[in-house]
Amino acid sequence: MIAWQAAGDPSIQARQQPALALEYGRSRDARDADLLRDTGLVAGLDPDGLVSPAQYQQQLANTLRILDSSDTSFMLGQLLLPGHDGAASHALVQAPNLRTLLQTLCRFHARLTPLLRPRFETWGDVALLYWVDAYGAPGIRPALVEMHMTAVVALCRWLGGERLPWRFCFNRGAPRHVEQHHVHLGAELRFGCQLDAMLLPAAWLDRPWPRASEMAARLAQQAAEQEEERAPGMLAALYDYLLDHVRMAPTLERTAADFGVSPATFKRQLLRHHTHFQGELDGVRTHVALWLFQVERADNEEVARYLGFHDAANFRRSFKRWTGLTPGPIRAALDGELGWFTGALEPGM
Amino acid sequence: MSNVIRHTLLIGALLGAFAFLFVGAGTTIPMAEWDWVDIASEGGTSLLAALWCLIVLSSRPDGLVTRLLAGGLACIMLGSWADCLDEVVDIDKAALWDNALESLLPLGMLILTVGMYYWRLEQATLSDHMRKRERLFRNHRPFDRITQLADAAYLREQLRLESRRTEGESASALVLFDIDEFHRINREHGQAEGDRVLQAVAHMLLLNLRNDDLLCRYAGDRFAVLMPGLTELEARDAAQHLCRMVSSMRHHAPKGRVRISLRHGCAPAQGAPDALLATLCRQMDAV
Repeated sequence: MIAWQAAGDPSIQARQQPALALEYGRSRDARDADLLRDTGLVAGLDPDGLVSPAQYQQQLANTLRILDSSDTSFMLGQLLLPGHDGAASHALVQAPNLRTLLQTLCRFHARLTPLLRPRFETWGDVALLYWVDAYGAPGIRPALVEMHMTAVVALCRWLGGERLPWRFCFNRGAPRHVEQHHVHLGAELRFGCQLDAMLLPAAWLDRPWPRASEMAARLAQQAAEQEEERAPGMLAALYDYLLDHVRMAPTLERTAADFGVSPATFKRQLLRHHTHFQGELDGVRTHVALWLFQVERADNEEVARYLGFHDAANFRRSFKRWTGLTPGPIRAALDGELGWFTGALEPGM
Repeated sequence: MSNVIRHTLLIGALLGAFAFLFVGAGTTIPMAEWDWVDIASEGGTSLLAALWCLIVLSSRPDGLVTRLLAGGLACIMLGSWADCLDEVVDIDKAALWDNALESLLPLGMLILTVGMYYWRLEQATLSDHMRKRERLFRNHRPFDRITQLADAAYLREQLRLESRRTEGESASALVLFDIDEFHRINREHGQAEGDRVLQAVAHMLLLNLRNDDLLCRYAGDRFAVLMPGLTELEARDAAQHLCRMVSSMRHHAPKGRVRISLRHGCAPAQGAPDALLATLCRQMDAV
């Protein structure tokens, strides 16, 4: 059975991410009562207690609204990593290079970045880190993405001692406060993409970092492995599951059984996470199709066959429904993006 | 209890006390003889003056100007209220206190006028203080809370105005400044100390700018200076001077001295603001 956590279940230690966010709100002259409104944390934040992801999301939404400043998500991101989660945070700080850091982050994402789940992929010269919803927060999703991207950029800059040539794709239109992206992330930004992703030339992954020590890194990793496993958020677990089963035509009933609940309960839970089964499945199939277009250079026929469609025309119609665009323009846009990226690989490296 | 509530209660109590005084001292005129137009106009003046008084008290910090403005409005309020009550309650015409209360109205106007005079002086001082932080027009929204500087939206607006005004004849330059290793200051000394560094740098830059220059906080640790009338070469020279001034500054944090230095990028202020800023930011990343 698959381990997962619902948004309503208390699973985040209050002394960690919620306490940091609260501290930041206070430093900007906001009152606790306003920052914690509608979270159900009437008595304030008990540092030894547990907070549910839904409560933490509400707290962040309050903070963004009350401070009413375009840099809030970025400043919260600066504070997010490495965090104070004992062994997992320690393993991050001890990472000898970028590859290990990103692997560690993805391995312990349920502790380190409970709201968004990072996924790390590499192919050819390209390293890609993209962010998937763990609990579903449509209202604050753009701010969460800014926050988590800033956290990774800032941590790498601190540990690596230099600015990395990251490039960024956003699944949203161009914002008004693009200056914050310029300063906290970098100047290479693309808006209106299908993914919230960060790209980097793969050559940066294995450069040793200044303070790196193999020994300390291994010990820290072992210590983190021994800690009690934290279950990922429902949508993060579902994304992983659907990605593994995408060729087997997953159904709600089968998936609910694998998640250990009845189909009705599963449906209700998804609704509470502001989504539904078909939407999640379509999202995963979009990502797989994009991956095949981009990395395997597959055509519509091959992608249709891979995803179990009758024919290319059928796939084309579905793809249009998922993304609003037919595969042709998307492929052109992807080539443009990859060209934008691989063009940058040449001179700098 | 918040200040607004306290002030509202105080004003209500004053108005109530006046009403009591009148009703107690005189005889009520029968309703058939009331002049409704007078009552409405005098009572309305009184209530509006009360509202203005509350707005002044809640929107300005305490001080001489605030007290004069609020005091003047309060006198006007009470004077009109006394007038209004006169319409409803018959008071012996020989009673001096009634006349004294009604003369509060002109007295209030006098106090209000004095307050306005000092307010004007205050505005002149503030405008002087704001000169290098805003140019040409005032917009109270786009100011950064930490440095009290204009933000990127205001800068874009100014760049748009600048390119429309000059139409390519006289040159202008835009310079961006980044604080070296600012992220390290934030990590090692905390964000509160980082904020203090931002304030110190903003002050240092302001002190060394010409009156025509505009200083903005672009975002994070990036500042922007619009230098009207300077060529790129002159602006570069000015920018290097600013960097020298900041690096000679001593910033003391609780954990010891923090070294602050700046790096800069410079370009002629031409073309669409968004494209100009994106190009200049790319240049800053490469420094």
